[in-house]
Amino acid sequence: MTVIEPLTAIFREVFDDDEIILSREMTADDVDGWDSLSHVNLIVTIEARFNIKFTQKELLTFKNVGDLLDSIQRKLPD
Amino acid sequence: MVFNSLEYFLFLPAVWLVHHFLGQRWRWLFLLAASLVFYASLKAPYLLGVITFVTVATYAFGRWLHRAEHPAQKKRLLWGGIATNLLILVGMKYVPFLTENLNVLLNLFDSPIKAPHSELFVAIGVSYYVFQAISYLNDIYLEIEEPEPHFGYFALYLAFFPKLLQGPIERAGDLLPQLKQKYEFNYENMRFGLLLFTWGLFKKVVLADRLGLYVDAVYDDVHSYQGLPLLLATYAYAFQIYFDFSGYTDMALGTARLFNIKLTDNFYSPYLATSVADFWRRWHITFSRWILDYIFKPLQMAWRNGKNWGTAAALVVTFLVSGIWHGASWGFIVWGLLHGTYMACSVFYRPYQKKLHKALKLDKTKLLHAWQVFVTFHLVCFAWIFFRAADLNAAAYIVTSAIDAGRGIQVLVPGFGKYQLAALLLSLAVWSCFVKGRLNTEYLHGLRCYNRWLVYTTLVLVIRFFYVNNAADKFIYFGF
Repeated sequence: MTVIEPLTAIFREVFDDDEIILSREMTADDVDGWDSLSHVNLIVTIEARFNIKFTQKELLTFKNVGDLLDSIQRKLPD
Repeated sequence: MVFNSLEYFLFLPAVWLVHHFLGQRWRWLFLLAASLVFYASLKAPYLLGVITFVTVATYAFGRWLHRAEHPAQKKRLLWGGIATNLLILVGMKYVPFLTENLNVLLNLFDSPIKAPHSELFVAIGVSYYVFQAISYLNDIYLEIEEPEPHFGYFALYLAFFPKLLQGPIERAGDLLPQLKQKYEFNYENMRFGLLLFTWGLFKKVVLADRLGLYVDAVYDDVHSYQGLPLLLATYAYAFQIYFDFSGYTDMALGTARLFNIKLTDNFYSPYLATSVADFWRRWHITFSRWILDYIFKPLQMAWRNGKNWGTAAALVVTFLVSGIWHGASWGFIVWGLLHGTYMACSVFYRPYQKKLHKALKLDKTKLLHAWQVFVTFHLVCFAWIFFRAADLNAAAYIVTSAIDAGRGIQVLVPGFGKYQLAALLLSLAVWSCFVKGRLNTEYLHGLRCYNRWLVYTTLVLVIRFFYVNNAADKFIYFGF
């Protein structure tokens, strides 16, 4: 299963912007409204939709969308 | 020895000269020795023991943490390292406060047992290197940084004298590579470093110390005043603490620059912030980043299922800890809780506030910006009352009596007469001239030679003629 399409849908919903196109290098600076508050909503929504749980260490070391994608991918059943 | 003392004016050039002429392979050792001499000059010999212990323990934990293979073992080592550092900090700073409150509690129950009275240790600098040690261990745990193999450079990272007593709190990844760089004389760094040092000295001894005369006169005897002087003294304190701390930081940054090292700036026009959260992005920046990264974010993530409530609780707890860090007293605790509460509330009302601004067509207008700066400044000042007042009773008196339009239009107070006021206004005028030009390298490059010298001479003359002679020889943030 590809992760990027459902993840894009989640981003568009959380940040209320239908034009977001995700890339691996994207960071919080590239998305309008991606601050520490909306970040929590983003993480909680991702965890609920994919039915996964991030560890504290993962959450503190995500540097960009690529890290997030890899982590989700690792947690999904093959 | 503090930055604005005669000893330091002899110490710094001597250290610079020796460092300049030494061979590269000995420079780290010399800077480390100089830093320890600088620390020893505080006349509290146990401080050298404390910094040595923190250095050795953190270095060892860092190596173990890196070598450990099992995640659970890594976690145990991280917490072991953090606990060791925190025990030192708590032991140095909070034992008297804890025993005092324990005794109050014991008295309530007529207990015959009493906790032994303990003296307050001089703990200058301890919190700053303990914070750096904790951030170092965290960065190794999160695999952001490798542990430093060279014990000497690691010790210098914790002890480097320009930032030893009052920060900035540097991350290993920012400072260690600079300490290892080969030193070469750099005229630009030399000139900018000296200028920054002088600018900081001006902010401290001319502005902060003179404002302090007014603040001390009023805050040390609040019940003799009503109305305006209480309000003015509160504004004066807001600027005193800013000039004191940012002046110190400029002197630290200026000193480090002489050795070609760029430390992180701690201030970015904090009183122009448009919200309390914005204020914390501009005030004591290295400290607020530290509490954000190591207290707020982990809590916020741990409590993420509570969504806004989780974030709000994380903010309150983070700023409560920040208050307690500033000192073991109820005033600091209230100050921290106020800032935490300001930001926790904004978590809930901010979306509605944005909608309201849009509906009123006020968003991005100058009027709204000015209003936000005004409100933020006053929220911050309100919290400063608890930070500065001798106790909660004095703070409560100021809060209830400061806005009293009917009484007290007095401006001058004993110890702060019209000459002091004139000197203050004149030096504030000098400050506002230079601060507008942003006293930076590019600006100075743009000046003609004689204008540049006019800047230098003005600063030196203002310091010479307007420095406050009787001010206590210390900085506010030494206490924390």
